[in-house]
Amino acid sequence: MIDARKQDRLTMTLGFVAFLFAAACWFYALKLAPSDEAQGEVYRIMFFHVPSAFMAFLASGALLFTSGWTLFKRSPTAALWSKACAEVGLMFTAITLITGSIWGRPTWGVWWTWDARLTTTLILALLYAGYLIFTSSMAPGPQRDRMAAALGLVIAIDVPIIYKSVTWWRTLHQPPSLMRAGGSTMDPEMKNILYVCFFAMLFVAIWLIWTRAVNLKLQAAIEEHSHQAHSH
Amino acid sequence: MKKFLTQFRALLWQALQVEWSNSERWLSPLLFSATMIILFVFSFGKVEPKFLPQLYIAATFITAFLSLQIAFSRVLEPDMQDKVFDQLRTYPISPSAWFLSKYTIVILLGVLILLPTLFLSNLFLNEGPVSFLSGSILIIGLLALLSLGALGVLLSTMMLRSNAKQILYPLIYFPLTTPVLLSAVESSHAVLVDAKVLSDLMSSWLGLLVIFGIMYFTLCLLLFGELVKPE
Amino acid sequence: MLDIKLLSFRYQYKTILSRLSFSAVPGEILHITGPNGSGKTTLMSILAGLRKEASGTIEYKLPNGKAASDRRDHVEYLPAEANALFGKMDAMSNLRFWRGLRALEQSDATLRAVLKRWDLDHPLIRENFPVESFSTGMKRRLALARLELSETPCWLLDEPLYGLDTKGIETFQTLLDNHLQGGGITVIVSHDIAPLEKFPVRRLDLLKEVKA
Repeated sequence: MIDARKQDRLTMTLGFVAFLFAAACWFYALKLAPSDEAQGEVYRIMFFHVPSAFMAFLASGALLFTSGWTLFKRSPTAALWSKACAEVGLMFTAITLITGSIWGRPTWGVWWTWDARLTTTLILALLYAGYLIFTSSMAPGPQRDRMAAALGLVIAIDVPIIYKSVTWWRTLHQPPSLMRAGGSTMDPEMKNILYVCFFAMLFVAIWLIWTRAVNLKLQAAIEEHSHQAHSH
Repeated sequence: MKKFLTQFRALLWQALQVEWSNSERWLSPLLFSATMIILFVFSFGKVEPKFLPQLYIAATFITAFLSLQIAFSRVLEPDMQDKVFDQLRTYPISPSAWFLSKYTIVILLGVLILLPTLFLSNLFLNEGPVSFLSGSILIIGLLALLSLGALGVLLSTMMLRSNAKQILYPLIYFPLTTPVLLSAVESSHAVLVDAKVLSDLMSSWLGLLVIFGIMYFTLCLLLFGELVKPE
Repeated sequence: MLDIKLLSFRYQYKTILSRLSFSAVPGEILHITGPNGSGKTTLMSILAGLRKEASGTIEYKLPNGKAASDRRDHVEYLPAEANALFGKMDAMSNLRFWRGLRALEQSDATLRAVLKRWDLDHPLIRENFPVESFSTGMKRRLALARLELSETPCWLLDEPLYGLDTKGIETFQTLLDNHLQGGGITVIVSHDIAPLEKFPVRRLDLLKEVKA
């Protein structure tokens, strides 16, 4: 049984902490980090863009794990976690793509570029969307869980392959990365801020996935209760 | 082993019979290919000769890819009638035999689509004296087909009970096959434009194509078994 | 012997079967009864291997006492509202296919002998005539022919008499008689009870079992 009130309190507290941490990071990033010589102030969106990209891909790793668990342990809870991962993953891919555009336009004059990371993120967005459309198009039950898990496994295993292929493809057709803020010559202070922002984003991502999964479990519990209530 | 082969043969023969029963089944993907290539020619307009190989590769692979979609969705259609699919699950069939039979028929259909597409594409798009048709291009196409076929069978089986089949297939299938398509296109480009030999490419794109083929085949073979288990 | 212990099944939060235990033994018919929605077809599909039970065990015990590793080797299922026939293939091809899956020989002589019993041996019907053009009764008879040709000791039949005329029902009774005499196991769901009355029947009422 889920103690809803206790759960709520826990969720709110952890969420508060996570978002406070994140807000602190971004405040620092936006106001206090040093300016970049080449790109001026706009580059600051990188502190938001790069961690989001990482989370989008990390979510696929989580999806790999939860899908495997669903398939081999036949766990309906794991299926809910898979859905949460896909939803949060989709959200982060959207953020990555949008912030990438915002960064690209003033800096390099283009709204979109076929950079390897962006291209893979776009593909990942399509895959997450497809996964969610698929799961919502089937009737709930163990069959849907298994099919979704198989699809989740295929997607998650394919992501690193897609990334590598696209990277090789782009290195053939374009001079090396435009999208690095100075690349390896990044100011060490910027690097540190980036790492901290990365961790902040990680907490936010984990909190989001966890809250959503609990949310879905609650939904399932409510449905079960209402079914039982109707049959008595 | 003998049982495996008997089952495989029975399943494959049945699939072949269904394909052959109606000539429309293999004719429509071919007509689709022809139409697509003609459309490409019209939409390309006047093209500088040096760009033709690239356009040939693009048009061929896109056309073959899309006509393959039609073939994939049909391969599992007969099983959806009259609860045949469920009955098959009540029989002691080896899931590998089942997968391999579907895979074989998909590859056969794929070859039946690829060859005329290559031929027509060369006919309509090539303005130079040198033919784009070559053994190398054919081998690249076949290797790509090995990966595309495996994913196609797995995904079609997954989508059997879904209501959103039409949109899902291009939405999920295309992104997943990106590495295969990239490898095929790059290999073809190397052969046609840079005049490379296939053995040169084994350490790069062609090698990748082979690896992808093995990987996707193994993965789909394993997951197919999970799909047909008791729910 | 088909041995079921404490079988439970849930579908979308509704308990359909709860701790059901029973056995089906050779030589008698196990007739599963109950009102609509009591889970008869669900139980049959679980026994056939289409759905997985939530808990409990299903065991097929071979004559030597050991449990079969895959009970589908010994079981043939006949679904209720379908015949599982390939519409575009003819009768002989269909039978050959299903026999082939069980690795049994598929000579024309064997198939035709059975088709004859089911009144489907006419040259214009058995070959080059797609099954989708058959009448309801013909399709059911072809499905029963497949059942006969499966050479399995355990039969799970869901509404086998659906669409059959008097002659068809008689042929079915003869088939059932031979099966039971040969020590075969039969589990039947059928709302038409009269044709079964001449056989040894044991009733399993799902309504009583679920409430228990």
